[in-house]
Amino acid sequence: MNSATEPRNFAEVALYLARLWRQEGTLRFLAIALNLGREKSLAGEMWKYGVVIGLLSFAFVAFMLLTEGGAAFNTSSDGINWGLAVSVYIFFALTSSGLTFIASLSMVFGFREYYSIAKRCIWLAIITLGAGFAVLALELGHPFRMLWAMPAGMQYLSPMFWMGVFYLIDLVLLLIKFDRLWHDDWDSPLSHFLSIASFVAVVLASGMLGLVFGSMVMRPMWYGSFTAVYFILTAALSGAATIVLATYMAYGYRHENMPEPLRSMASGKALPKVFATLSGIALFAVVTRLWTGLWSNLDGLEGFHALVRSPAFHVEVWAGLALPFALMIAPALQRRARWQITAGALVLLGMFIDRYQFLVTGQAVPMFKGAWASGLVEYAPSVTEWMMAVLGFAIVFACYGLGEKLFNLAGDPRHRLREGAEPKPAYAETGARAD
Amino acid sequence: MTKWGMVIDLEKCTGCQACTAACAMENSRLPGENWQDVIFFTEGEYPSVQLKWFPRPCMHCENPSCVHVCPTGATYRTSDGVVLIDWDKCIGCKYCMIACPYGVRFYTDEKPLVAPDMRKVFGSNDGHSWSPPWRMPDSREDWKRGIGIQPRGVVSKCTFCYHRVSKASKDTADLDPSDPRQREFTPACVVACPPGARYFGDLGNPESEVSKMIADKNGVRLLDQLGNKPQVYYLTGAGAAVPSNRALKRT
Ligand code: SF4
Ligand code: SF4
Repeated sequence: MNSATEPRNFAEVALYLARLWRQEGTLRFLAIALNLGREKSLAGEMWKYGVVIGLLSFAFVAFMLLTEGGAAFNTSSDGINWGLAVSVYIFFALTSSGLTFIASLSMVFGFREYYSIAKRCIWLAIITLGAGFAVLALELGHPFRMLWAMPAGMQYLSPMFWMGVFYLIDLVLLLIKFDRLWHDDWDSPLSHFLSIASFVAVVLASGMLGLVFGSMVMRPMWYGSFTAVYFILTAALSGAATIVLATYMAYGYRHENMPEPLRSMASGKALPKVFATLSGIALFAVVTRLWTGLWSNLDGLEGFHALVRSPAFHVEVWAGLALPFALMIAPALQRRARWQITAGALVLLGMFIDRYQFLVTGQAVPMFKGAWASGLVEYAPSVTEWMMAVLGFAIVFACYGLGEKLFNLAGDPRHRLREGAEPKPAYAETGARAD
Repeated sequence: MTKWGMVIDLEKCTGCQACTAACAMENSRLPGENWQDVIFFTEGEYPSVQLKWFPRPCMHCENPSCVHVCPTGATYRTSDGVVLIDWDKCIGCKYCMIACPYGVRFYTDEKPLVAPDMRKVFGSNDGHSWSPPWRMPDSREDWKRGIGIQPRGVVSKCTFCYHRVSKASKDTADLDPSDPRQREFTPACVVACPPGARYFGDLGNPESEVSKMIADKNGVRLLDQLGNKPQVYYLTGAGAAVPSNRALKRT
């Protein structure tokens, strides 16, 4: 489903779309736009369902926010202040950071075999970060005020201020870098500089997101510089899982469809090795954190007891981390597409739960709040909060389908050499049937 | 410079919650949104169980973590030592609620703590989150200082009745509600406290009644180990104590 040609800039995209609209008439144009082409394709399906589900969930959330406001959430001042929506933001933001790490393998550290997934990684990093920001904006009391109040305030003591600064820089650099790759500029000095800057920015951004929590001495379940390291390491894991799933999806879930060197990477030892290492590290981090939490009797760590009693936590540890780790070290399974895909999906599920559990249990011990808040706080997300999560995933699916169709995400520097230096005209006569 | 602070004598406090009611009336609080709350909890086990209570306003920390984390500067500390919120700058990120060790902050937009939802019963169409018939006069309201009824989507908390306290003359050592000249400048909870368990004055002045009480009667601060340095001190004497941890048992 990779398009053989791609537009060179947005003007060409607009021109092409306008021409298509004139030729086909509004209705057929809409149908083509919704399917991303005249024929069915996986990218088209992702786009179509992403757009439809995204619009529906957005409509629901917007309706609830306009009629009920924040009362549509199950968060509360005397319990969980930051709920599912914030954990979805963390999930997407860290997944985005992880994808940038993986893109940096080739673009910063010179592991050339990873070139063939770099462009896909960067596109995914852009859209997951965008989805995270979108969900967060719906959670904030005044998202638009943020746009001026944060730069005007310059609160350099606030971890959240720096998180905002670094993620903004990260997003801008990702966009510029993607634009360079779109123009087949892989190794100019500018492109190199962008890659290095973006790697530094993303380390700072994900580390700072960790410090938003790690700086909170009054919330001992989060406290410590380890939280920043934990976020960076698990970011790499969720980024790896995402790119594995996305790449398999692009090649119909089969090694045979992949071009070299992707095929040898996936069917060789490289991929399972990386995957096993990252999930092993994450497993180690989760278990050691649990150990110190359960062992210590510091006031405020009681949330760890709630954590071990929670079934979701066991799903995370056993199915989301231990099982993928086992699959990726088992010699008989580690190189099979089916088990790599399973491991990727399980890890993403595990990471989704991890962000949620990390966030919610960290707030489970109430802070002298009110005569009626005592013991550990109970919380389950409301339908509106779940819909915000759905919206986030719908945005990612839709934009991934779109990117797959428009941007030749499989591009790499060799591909340009193979096809000759002549740039092809955007969308040959066959138009959207380019796949 | 004045450094306003409060002393609460737990030996005198009867747990009547007159402070909570007075604060709610003075500051037009939504039912349940108790800027000045009294927390009830038990200690020990049957048959030697004790019912305890503990009044808890904002501590107006000298080293306030809520101010440090606020990404916009909406939460700030005044030169006379009071921590306030600028509702025109607050983006409702709730980070300050995460960072306050004393749980004194409230987000406006959430499920009502007490039914029915008074925001629906007394809806507002002028930017306030609600509009009760007994609200604070508009002339006293000050959104830049978090005083009055807040708009939607922001965080609110105790202001030490800044609209009263800030009008006291600059060299006041203590605001004593039994002195008719000072009564209208004294925080509402201090005025209302029937046994007179609450004292308000200048912690920066060693001659003030509050400073002397803290020194003579061994005033303690809640969760002092966290380093926020509250400007609310408790006197525990022989018969009372501040709770030593947050995982309080249900009463
Ligand atoms: S008690 Fe909480 S809200 Fe009040 S000043 Fe201290 S940290 Fe801030
Ligand atoms: S909710 Fe408002 S006052 Fe609190 S940290 Fe965020 S912007 Fe600051």
